[in-house]
Amino acid sequence: MTQPFLSIRNLRKAFGTITAVHDVTLEIPRGEFLTFLGPSGSGKSTTLYAIAGFQDPSSGDVLLQGKSLLSVPSHKRNIGMVFQRYTLFPHLTVAENVAFPLRVRRRPKAEVKKKVADMLALVRLESFATRLPGALSGGQQQRVALARALAYDPPILLMDEPLSALDKKLREEIQGEIRRIHRETGVTILYVTHDQEEALHLSDRIALFRDGRIEQTGSGEDLYLRPATDFVAGFIGNSNFLAAEHLDTTDGTATIRLADGSVISGVRANGTFGNGQKTRLMIRPEAFGMERSPASAELNVEIVDVAFYGERRRIVARTAAGEGVDIRPTSAAMPSQDVSPCSWQVFFDPAAAFLFPA
Amino acid sequence: MSVETRRNLGTVRLPAGFNGLLPALVLIVLFFVVPVLALLLRSVTEPEPGLQNYAALLGDGTYARVFFNTFLVASVVTIVTVLVAFPVAWMLAIMPSALASVVFGVIILSMWTNLLTRTYAWMVLLQRTGVINRTLIAAGVIDQPLPLINNLTGVTIGMVYIMLPFMILPLVGTLRAIDPMTLRAAALCGASPFQAFRRILVPLSLPGVAAGGLMVFVMSLGYFVTPALLGGTSNMMLAEMIAQMIQSLLNWGLGSAAAFILLVVTMALYALQLRLVGARRMSGGL
Repeated sequence: MTQPFLSIRNLRKAFGTITAVHDVTLEIPRGEFLTFLGPSGSGKSTTLYAIAGFQDPSSGDVLLQGKSLLSVPSHKRNIGMVFQRYTLFPHLTVAENVAFPLRVRRRPKAEVKKKVADMLALVRLESFATRLPGALSGGQQQRVALARALAYDPPILLMDEPLSALDKKLREEIQGEIRRIHRETGVTILYVTHDQEEALHLSDRIALFRDGRIEQTGSGEDLYLRPATDFVAGFIGNSNFLAAEHLDTTDGTATIRLADGSVISGVRANGTFGNGQKTRLMIRPEAFGMERSPASAELNVEIVDVAFYGERRRIVARTAAGEGVDIRPTSAAMPSQDVSPCSWQVFFDPAAAFLFPA
Repeated sequence: MSVETRRNLGTVRLPAGFNGLLPALVLIVLFFVVPVLALLLRSVTEPEPGLQNYAALLGDGTYARVFFNTFLVASVVTIVTVLVAFPVAWMLAIMPSALASVVFGVIILSMWTNLLTRTYAWMVLLQRTGVINRTLIAAGVIDQPLPLINNLTGVTIGMVYIMLPFMILPLVGTLRAIDPMTLRAAALCGASPFQAFRRILVPLSLPGVAAGGLMVFVMSLGYFVTPALLGGTSNMMLAEMIAQMIQSLLNWGLGSAAAFILLVVTMALYALQLRLVGARRMSGGL
């Protein structure tokens, strides 16, 4: 492909003295489900709004199939969007809401009628066509909003935290719907959320935002298994950070000394470190095992508390240096729940541990 | 009296706290219901019993013209007030609240200024040799003074100015309740600013327009000072006619009948409004 479907180039947006987006560059192929993930205020919504045309960027460009969108007003961008809050038109019925984008485009009546029926079938709300939005639950309203946003076959669908106002069960249900609709329509989706589980569950690719910049872009697996920075490691999934002194790096694997004095070699070094430099070692809670294997490193901890979470147990432990460690082995791996404070030895694969600058 | 009242209270079940409401009820009956009944009585008894006052008012071409003119002025004033108030209300609704309260203050201040003063001020501005005409002539825009006073134009200008706050305040309430995101959603759906205005903003603001519009229309129907000072003799309004009947002609019966017709029309309009917009939505708009 010579040109990407949608590209965001060096996007920057400042509000007075505050810069919400510093420098965002992204290329999005057609049909991709890309999620902007990040804490609130990280610039993900601002980037989305620039694509929607609600905010003009201070500099940079947004191109759809090679053509800049910036000079095109919102209502001519032909982009679909589902908002965080319910933005259905309260005085119009469900069917009229879905028909609205087609009516303003002056499509023939028969076409509008057919398309509305198709869209309501897509979101499985055929029987609600004549209701007013106020008579619908939050989840149903967002499904109508989805139908309305897709009614005019937009090349891009923007979704700005569409599930944040819903409870957990509804959220999961609609996530399933969104995945199905993405599969069935093949529409390119840009999805904004601060919920990492939602991002991992839905997206082909995630762009992790931090302070107006993209920290890392990649699949959920990339971000989880190969975090580029300690921020990514800390944001995606659960993670333990232990203070470590860097001793030596060869071929990308480092040898370090933990605060309790134990030396571990074979950890993955993210970046280059000087000998003796203070670093942080990141280990996922589920990377800990109860059994020794030839390659594994060991960590001596004192168990503070054990909680049962069904498939996993959660062990709150402390290293000899007093650092808290979160350990989540599978329940089968750790049969007893009744553990009083005691010393324990846990094992982890150094290749699943990452070294970051302190 | 107290004994009798008690006996009556014993037979009818009254809501709790009714006794506390009694003074207010007495006040309303004494000062509102009784005078209206007296008015009605007068209109059918003076100068002699019968409906001849109503027959005269409704049958006579001159009076009919006054009625027509009253409704014409009230309608024109209401429409113009809505058109002027809408952009102001929208601006107030989307303005930062600190700035909006300043503008609100200015609007309220104009309401507190003496009505007569404001109407005379318009006379100064609008008359043949007034500020507006002289400025326009000096600027070479016109060579003959525009007829801005003692006609429908003058009445409309003066009354719209006085009625604006009564339209702006309920409208701002309604417009503020509209989520601005709804309009953004409309824009992304492909609606041009005009389409979003016509298909989304206007329908959603209707309760406020109806509430303010009714208030303006009803107030305009019975308005006296401004039409008397800025209007012409050819477009007399009902209130002026009533004043003339009672003050100059001392015809209390005819004046009462005219006043009663005005009251009935007003109440009919209010009932219609309640049916169309719904009592709850209207009070919400206010």
